[in-house]
Amino acid sequence: MNLKRVVAVAAASAIALSAVVAISTPSQAAINYCKATDLKTAGGLDALVKAAKKEGALNVITLPRDWANYGEAMDLFSKAFGIKINDDNPDGSSAYEIQTIKTAPAAKQPDVVDIGVSALNGVIGAGSDKLFADYKVANFAAIPSKWKSESGNWYGDYNGIIGIAYDASVSPAPTKISDLANAAYKGQVALTGDPTAGQEPFMAVYAAAIAKGGSLDNIQPGIDFFKSLKANGNFIATKATPENYVAGAYKISLTWNFNAPGMIAGAKAAGKNLKFVVPSDAVIAGTPYIQAINAKAPHCAAARLWEEFLYSENKGKTSAQLTAKDLKLTGSKLFNTILGGQNVFVSGGATPILQADMTAKKKLINGPDGFDVPKGAKVYQPSPDQQVGGKTLVSAQWPTL
Amino acid sequence: MKLFSRRQLPLTLGLVLATIFVVLPLGSAAEFSLREPLKNTHGFDNYTWFFVAPDFAKYLGISFGLALTSALILLVLLVPTVVWLNLGGSKYRGFVEFVSLLPLVIPVVALAIGAQTALPDFAQTNEVILAFMYAVLAVPYAYRTMDTGLRSIPLKTIVEASRGLGATWFHVLFKVIIPVIRSTVLSALFMTLALSLGEFTITSLLHWDTFTTWVTTMSQSNILGAIALSVFSLVSVFVLLLVISVFIRPTKSMVISEEN
Amino acid sequence: MSTPEVVSLDRKGAPIWGTLIGQFLKALLALAPLLVFMSIFFFAPLWAVVLDSFKSNEGNFTFANYADVFKEPIITAMRTSFGLAMVSALVSAVPGAVLAFLIESRGSDRLRQVVASISGVLANTGGVPLAFMFIASLGAEGAATGLLKAFGLDIYGAGFSLFTFWGLVLVYTYFQIPMMVIVFSPAIHGLRREWNEAARTLGATGRQFWANVGIPLLFPSFLSAFLLLFASAFSAYATARAMTNGTIALVPLMIGNLLDGNVIFDEVNLAKALAVAMIFVTLLAMVPYIVIQRRAQRWQR
Repeated sequence: MNLKRVVAVAAASAIALSAVVAISTPSQAAINYCKATDLKTAGGLDALVKAAKKEGALNVITLPRDWANYGEAMDLFSKAFGIKINDDNPDGSSAYEIQTIKTAPAAKQPDVVDIGVSALNGVIGAGSDKLFADYKVANFAAIPSKWKSESGNWYGDYNGIIGIAYDASVSPAPTKISDLANAAYKGQVALTGDPTAGQEPFMAVYAAAIAKGGSLDNIQPGIDFFKSLKANGNFIATKATPENYVAGAYKISLTWNFNAPGMIAGAKAAGKNLKFVVPSDAVIAGTPYIQAINAKAPHCAAARLWEEFLYSENKGKTSAQLTAKDLKLTGSKLFNTILGGQNVFVSGGATPILQADMTAKKKLINGPDGFDVPKGAKVYQPSPDQQVGGKTLVSAQWPTL
Repeated sequence: MKLFSRRQLPLTLGLVLATIFVVLPLGSAAEFSLREPLKNTHGFDNYTWFFVAPDFAKYLGISFGLALTSALILLVLLVPTVVWLNLGGSKYRGFVEFVSLLPLVIPVVALAIGAQTALPDFAQTNEVILAFMYAVLAVPYAYRTMDTGLRSIPLKTIVEASRGLGATWFHVLFKVIIPVIRSTVLSALFMTLALSLGEFTITSLLHWDTFTTWVTTMSQSNILGAIALSVFSLVSVFVLLLVISVFIRPTKSMVISEEN
Repeated sequence: MSTPEVVSLDRKGAPIWGTLIGQFLKALLALAPLLVFMSIFFFAPLWAVVLDSFKSNEGNFTFANYADVFKEPIITAMRTSFGLAMVSALVSAVPGAVLAFLIESRGSDRLRQVVASISGVLANTGGVPLAFMFIASLGAEGAATGLLKAFGLDIYGAGFSLFTFWGLVLVYTYFQIPMMVIVFSPAIHGLRREWNEAARTLGATGRQFWANVGIPLLFPSFLSAFLLLFASAFSAYATARAMTNGTIALVPLMIGNLLDGNVIFDEVNLAKALAVAMIFVTLLAMVPYIVIQRRAQRWQR
């Protein structure tokens, strides 16, 4: 009958129409975030935020709160997106990060890593491409090509310079590395660790080398300088940690500029007055630390959102400034409300990798005063290759300094 | 106990010196932890934060559970072994001594890396693995303590006597030997508990969270608070062990002999 | 008198496990729990380390890592570590033994309880907390330093420093002496008063008793405890790391730098060879110990 026919045709067309609709609209649930290589394949920022929120957690590793203001980065990310961050062994080393990726069971795998460049060189080659997952953040093109892999396997995030942190009671106040030989500083100078084990003290030896007429290819004058400091009693073997400083074990140390704001704040709370100065005779910049997404990441969407966040150049609100109204925003709107990761690094005193781009686009905020490279100063940055030679000399001579 | 009698004088002197030696470093650290620089006074400000910090009780419980488990594992493993060694197996003493010393010789860092490579995944995903690793680390101390203790009692005599009277091995072990070496077992127990409660390296290298790793994470940026927390950890373990020891009467020293 | 084996007899009186293999099997059975436990949780990880120590970075078999152990600065580190362990053990073993003796022989039960508890805690202090305690007391602005200054003793003016070899020995004693007390006390616990009385009845003086009975009896236990102190000082890592910055050549620090560092990442197998080398050194240190033990066995019941 006619009515039956109409119904049949209507039903058939409805089915056909929904089939067409189904084919042309990609289903959100079908995106495999673990295979997404950029925002496009991740379905856009809105979709990424949604998926990350759904995952609900992010595993980071060896991120101290006072390091380049990572504490604020983690708090901001956590608060804005409601994603719980688990920080495995905040004081751990880059070697620990790589070892974890290689051997830890699935539940303990980190999602993202922040390692030193030398660690990268240690795993580069046949093995490295399999450790990390390719992902190009939105601002990938703006990252200097020297500090990223072509395919987006790894990319630099920030770096810092070596400066002198000293107690306010020290007199005369040091302004250059070579000042440290002053007899007034007997028993007061310390490094934050063993140069054979830590990038910070290793770069401090480079700083001494430059100050004493050496070069990035000749670290020997730096080693000799510390040897003479040890001989005349200025350089003591204590570790320059916040607790030891409060206990008066040392008064002067050489440290990254992005660690100094945290140290100064912590010292103030403990009743001590710590100051920081960039040495006028040697400005050593470390190589950028490297971000990468673990190929075995348990929270793929959250990992990628974290990277987008870290490379975001946005000016915006800090975790303290976020309101309940802000939190009701979704997806890219929320993302664009918060301070971008690169600017969070700036607020911690670090130099973000996208600094050139941000300066051009006027997106750079002002960092804390007194931690920057002085205008016109020559900045020395030991390349990974140059560091190989330095390492050999230091590890051979330091134990018998 | 007359403290200053001629006989007791060496002991008193020794104790005074020991107390100074122990208290000076601990007391100095404690003094730091009691500082309140913003109020320019001394007080317990730096101590209150961790009691209300998230997961304080949780991680304390985890550490405590692991410590008890490792102590149990060790006791079950070592007591029969050391008894056997002193009864009839003295030929193997050298071998066991060497084996028991090994966990102490390898730096814990290397052991942890080896464990990550060697242990199967299912072992590394269960937190109980830590109890076993702590037990391994405690073997050198526990073994030596128990061996020294068992060496110094007339083990053969009491075993043969009780066996002669018809006791089963079980009876001999639990009702005869262990009561005699009670304080030795207690010492070994204390070492194991204190070791487990303070262990950090293997715990963090195997990616676990116990009270000690929680302390490190929580203490970031809070210098005086960190010091307070570590002083608190030391003092509380001491109090804990003291409480345990009160519940177990010590055996009288043989020097005040009560046998034969 | 050599220790007679406990031999089980069957009903007819013939030894069941009398054969050599039988004895060995019986020993194996008795040691099985401990050995199985150690195999899984210690020997398996150790074996992984040993295997890797023979590999180059590409994975090929090589002795190169062990050859490096004999070169500078590692060989200096070996010597320094060994020296530090020996000195620290000696400096701690004697006061610890004396203290243990005083407490065991003349202390009340309550005192022994307290000592046992606090020794257990102190013997396990180390790393950053211990370093801080010493810096807080004997550091440049430490409480004890200030106190001594008030009495006219300027230790820093005289050249004292916590961050030297001897400073490290001092810090090590903080946990080594309690360790000695805990491990050695049981030996004294079993020293019988009657032996002293019997010796005196026979006309021996206190000194003769100690020289001929007491010390020989206690010596094996003392040596055993000493060896423990040596091994613990030899492999101590966290404390040395917190106190020295690598300017004192120590093997555990080198191992840590290579396995858990931020600068050198391609010498992991060398670190493992170092760890194995440490075991060999301990083995060597045990040889005189075993020799003395064997000779002292006759004093054992």
